[in-house]
Amino acid sequence: MTLHFQPSPPDHVPADRIVDFDFFHIPEGVTDPAEIWHDLVRRGVPKIFYTPRNGGHWVFLNYADIVEGYRDYSIFSTYQTPIPPIEPFPVVQPQGVDPPEHKVFRSLLAPMFTPIAVRGMTDEIQRRAIALIESFADKGECDFIGQYAERFPTALFLYLFGLPESRLDEFLDLANMFFRSTDPEARAKNIVEIYAVLDKLFREKQDNPGTDIASVIVTSRDPQGAPHDWTDILNCGFLLFVAGLDTVTNTMAYIWRYLATTPAAQQHFRDRLDDPDAFLLAVEELMRINAVSNIYRRVTHDCEYKGVQFRQNDRVILPNTVANRDPKVFENPDMIDLDRAVNVHVTFGVGPHRCVGSHLAKRQVMVSMQEWLKRIPAFELSPDQSGQTVFGGSVMGFSGMKLRW
Amino acid sequence: MSIDGQPQGPLMVVANLELCQGHARCEDLCPQVFSTDAVEGKVVIVHPVFPPELEDKVRLAVRNCPEGALRIARQKAAGA
Repeated sequence: MTLHFQPSPPDHVPADRIVDFDFFHIPEGVTDPAEIWHDLVRRGVPKIFYTPRNGGHWVFLNYADIVEGYRDYSIFSTYQTPIPPIEPFPVVQPQGVDPPEHKVFRSLLAPMFTPIAVRGMTDEIQRRAIALIESFADKGECDFIGQYAERFPTALFLYLFGLPESRLDEFLDLANMFFRSTDPEARAKNIVEIYAVLDKLFREKQDNPGTDIASVIVTSRDPQGAPHDWTDILNCGFLLFVAGLDTVTNTMAYIWRYLATTPAAQQHFRDRLDDPDAFLLAVEELMRINAVSNIYRRVTHDCEYKGVQFRQNDRVILPNTVANRDPKVFENPDMIDLDRAVNVHVTFGVGPHRCVGSHLAKRQVMVSMQEWLKRIPAFELSPDQSGQTVFGGSVMGFSGMKLRW
Repeated sequence: MSIDGQPQGPLMVVANLELCQGHARCEDLCPQVFSTDAVEGKVVIVHPVFPPELEDKVRLAVRNCPEGALRIARQKAAGA
């Protein structure tokens, strides 16, 4: 295949490892953006391949390689990873820093997102879920993503940051622009706006700290006892803003589409509303099958890895959705088995950068499903799904999904 | 008794805290034996020597650890 308008692949990449693959491009008619990844596996392309698209990057397709990519930060760094490359790029704390330095901000965030901490937030999570669901429950229909999947995690973000619920629409606008705009100028302006909002917020919390996450971050001290660098504080706030919203929104979009089109699955969960363990086991399977994130790494130095030559600064993508359906690890990997007993999915990554918010994310999904199923009867996709857009990239998903009941 | 004639101790579950990254899948699957701490969210094994009726659940928890941080061992019997 001849590629036009792409730089020629670097000379350390052998021709038999080159595949023309653009992970931002979802072909016409494809409704599940994850399918472009599974298509690679079905086509039998090399399990470690290079595409010249989007500035050029590697892709790992084996579960084992993806897991090693997460763990071996001596080769696969989280520092300055965007694809296509953007330099300079903010050093997002703690995600964009390798161990052991990443420990400083990781240790700061970790206690606020442990299972114990998240259990303590359950009432607040539940209250917000119920309020949103009851706002449309008697209408017989809703725009699920606009009325729930975007609003709910944003409402939780406001709660975690000690901000009033009245600012929901302002934060939704900021998030939607950040995640959906393709206009570089609008995006650059949007990032400046997000940082300005965070700057103001952290200054207010510095003067008048509460028990919220923003206050904990801004009043904490580094290992030497000094306040953290202001840029690091802002970048940590930025991480929490970008990491916890779009991922949850799109995971929910996938899950509700599956439920809307699979009455037996709706019934499976309805039958287990009083059995949280069985409910959670089934949620875990939905987390496996609906892994929306494709994670970036950057190669730290020239090296040979698994018989492949890598060069310093090469980018690598670890697609969780592919790892989660590796037949060497999962029995009947393409089948959704809501009672699946062994399920070592990597939807939240593994290794030192395992998603710090994973327990909160899972709790948001689980509580949302429980409160939804208690209040909404059997539901389905509305016949008119016009205006739906599907997107690939680092976080895959779709927007504009109407449900009715 | 084991095949070499030594007395067998009970089964116990052991965690490698270097590997544990706080996924808490073990706690979700078998809270009778596994808990997590409030600082890093890493595993705390409440009952390393678990009762035999929980063996299946403990084995399932071990198999579900995405980091391979748990393993089952046999405790040395007293006097062995």
